[in-house]
Amino acid sequence: MILYGKSGIIYAMNTDNNNKIRLLVIEDDPVITEFLCTGLKYEGYDVTPRAAGKTGLDTLQQATFDLIILDVMLPDIDGFEVCRRIRDRGPDVPILMLTVKKEISDRVKGLDSGADDYLTKPFSFDELLARIRALLRRSGKARENKKLQAGSIVLDMESREVSRNGKRIDLTPTEFGLLELFMRHPHRAFTRETLLNRVLGYHYDGGTNIIDVHISHLRNKLGDRPPHLIRTIYAVGYAFYPEETGP
Amino acid sequence: MKAWEKLSLRARLGLLYAALLIFSVVLVGCYSYWNIWQLFISNKSSHLRARAKPIIEHWILDNDLAKPDFPYLNLNPQNALVLSRDLTSRDAVAIILNRKGEVIANGKRLPEEPEAPPPDKKYLHRALSGENEVTYLSQVNGKPVLVLLIPLRLQPGSSLIFGVVQISVMLTDINQILFSHGAMLIALVATILISGIIAGFWLIGVSLKDLHGLLATCNQISKGNFSRRVSVKNRRDEIGQLATSFNRMIDQLEATFASQQRFVVNAAHELLTPLTGLRGSLEVMLRGAQDDPASTARLSKGMYKEVNRLIRLCEQLLGLSRLESLSNVHKQSIVLPEFFNDFEPQAQVLARGRSLIIKQGPYARVSADPDLLKQILLNLLSNALRYSSPETAVVISWKLLPEQVEIWVSDQGEGMDKETLSHILEPFYQGKSTIASGEKGIGLGLSLAKSMVEAHEGAIRVESEPGKGTTVFFTLPLG
Repeated sequence: MILYGKSGIIYAMNTDNNNKIRLLVIEDDPVITEFLCTGLKYEGYDVTPRAAGKTGLDTLQQATFDLIILDVMLPDIDGFEVCRRIRDRGPDVPILMLTVKKEISDRVKGLDSGADDYLTKPFSFDELLARIRALLRRSGKARENKKLQAGSIVLDMESREVSRNGKRIDLTPTEFGLLELFMRHPHRAFTRETLLNRVLGYHYDGGTNIIDVHISHLRNKLGDRPPHLIRTIYAVGYAFYPEETGP
Repeated sequence: MKAWEKLSLRARLGLLYAALLIFSVVLVGCYSYWNIWQLFISNKSSHLRARAKPIIEHWILDNDLAKPDFPYLNLNPQNALVLSRDLTSRDAVAIILNRKGEVIANGKRLPEEPEAPPPDKKYLHRALSGENEVTYLSQVNGKPVLVLLIPLRLQPGSSLIFGVVQISVMLTDINQILFSHGAMLIALVATILISGIIAGFWLIGVSLKDLHGLLATCNQISKGNFSRRVSVKNRRDEIGQLATSFNRMIDQLEATFASQQRFVVNAAHELLTPLTGLRGSLEVMLRGAQDDPASTARLSKGMYKEVNRLIRLCEQLLGLSRLESLSNVHKQSIVLPEFFNDFEPQAQVLARGRSLIIKQGPYARVSADPDLLKQILLNLLSNALRYSSPETAVVISWKLLPEQVEIWVSDQGEGMDKETLSHILEPFYQGKSTIASGEKGIGLGLSLAKSMVEAHEGAIRVESEPGKGTTVFFTLPLG
């Protein structure tokens, strides 16, 4: 459930379809394809799934992509072969290979055939995202800012500093994580469970009330008075609505 | 006994060989020593007798002792002394004894002449009772002497014995000869023993060398280095044969080990694919997709599928391992037309309205586990349905062979090429399919069927032609 603010998009991260990063996923397993699409779309990527090597290659001729996620075990053409054909045709698009085999020879074969990186199944989704970001950075496609800005709030991800109207605010790591998540996904309503998972990890066993405590601390430190920037969404959780700047 | 068992084979064989060698050489040495001794004694005694005989005969004649009225019981000491003196020389001394065994004359006169041993009553009695050749060994002052007893008769061959001459001779010279001979013998025996033992140990070492090589190789293999082999230098003896069959055994072990390893790797890979789906879906949900009911629904369905696939995989793996022991196969006599009548409704459920024809074959009684037979057929049937288009029919039938029944499941599906056909019975092998529908297979169905057929001592084979269809045949023994 994605909620948009009444004034539309203010924050730097582009959700405009034309500017989204375009990923091509060539994977035959329907369940893996499903979670890749859902997860990557949720992270703001534009995902095109293809179930076979041939259809994947055809799609590549019709459109351009910023990155290709390629499974090795495909029903028609072997993933290494697909990789070689993409490289033969010339496009310098980064390729991330998914493989089940852990043998060194397979990695070498994968990299030799022109892949830029590989990931061994079963992989962690966080690692997949990190690899995608790294590959995009290398190819110069990433439009990632070191600083996030939303209205008067500036968040520096490198120095991990937050300021509002130029005044520095000291935040705990959890509060910083919450604010970063909100600023990356403005207007999106997060449930307390999701916030808990994203900020404290999947292994945290406590109740979700802890999130309310952290949110209240964060609001106090930000000087967030009603109507809040971090709004409580009834029966859902919280969402971030940046101050309106400009028309 | 324990210490003996602790010794190496080489040491044991060497010791046994040395003991045998020592025993036989010492035996031969002792025998030859004893033989020479006997020869010397008999030589010496016959020489002495030959010398004494004419002297005694002359003495009897000279003293007219041959007269029948000679009072032989009263042997004259003077006459006896003459005889004893005549018979005594530098190395031999004679004494004369009367019928009572009393010494009546001693030939020893000069100090360099040897001492006579006191008469031995036992031998004396034998001589007095008429035995001519009484010879025995005795000692004088701790030195060995040879003693001869010669009965004195009035005439040769007469039974009238009036006394006994005892001639004793020192054996010092014989001893000297025997000593030098013995020393030579001992030297010879020692030489034979030493060279024999050295040669023996060397020979044993040479013949056991390959055994040591075998041992070293065994040790390396037991550490997991299955690529090692024993080198055989074209030997046809027991060790060469042992090495050959050892190498053959390791070949088989290596092949089994490799196929086991391949199986485990394949099984792990098959487990990893659904686990990838499960992990990724869960992670994506936890990261926030859970907030969207539509995403949650899609991901949950996928996860449900993956869990089912994992369960199916585990069941089939368990099925394969269960078949490893034949005790889980409960064979009974099955009448084929009846069995297929029972089986048909179950098969039609699986066919879900597809055309399934069970073509009745001849009456036959087979020995099989009915549950396993059903599983084999269901496995083959689901494959046939999966890889053929819905309009085509699947046929099950059977025929009699000598001692066996052949059952087959035939489809008119997409078939497979030679390359796929050659691997199709291997676990986890899956051919490429363009029309397969439904859930993704695991690749264990046919290899499971193969194991089940083989548990019945039957055989399975697949015939296929691309575009025409596939038929799987298997045999069961007649019951």
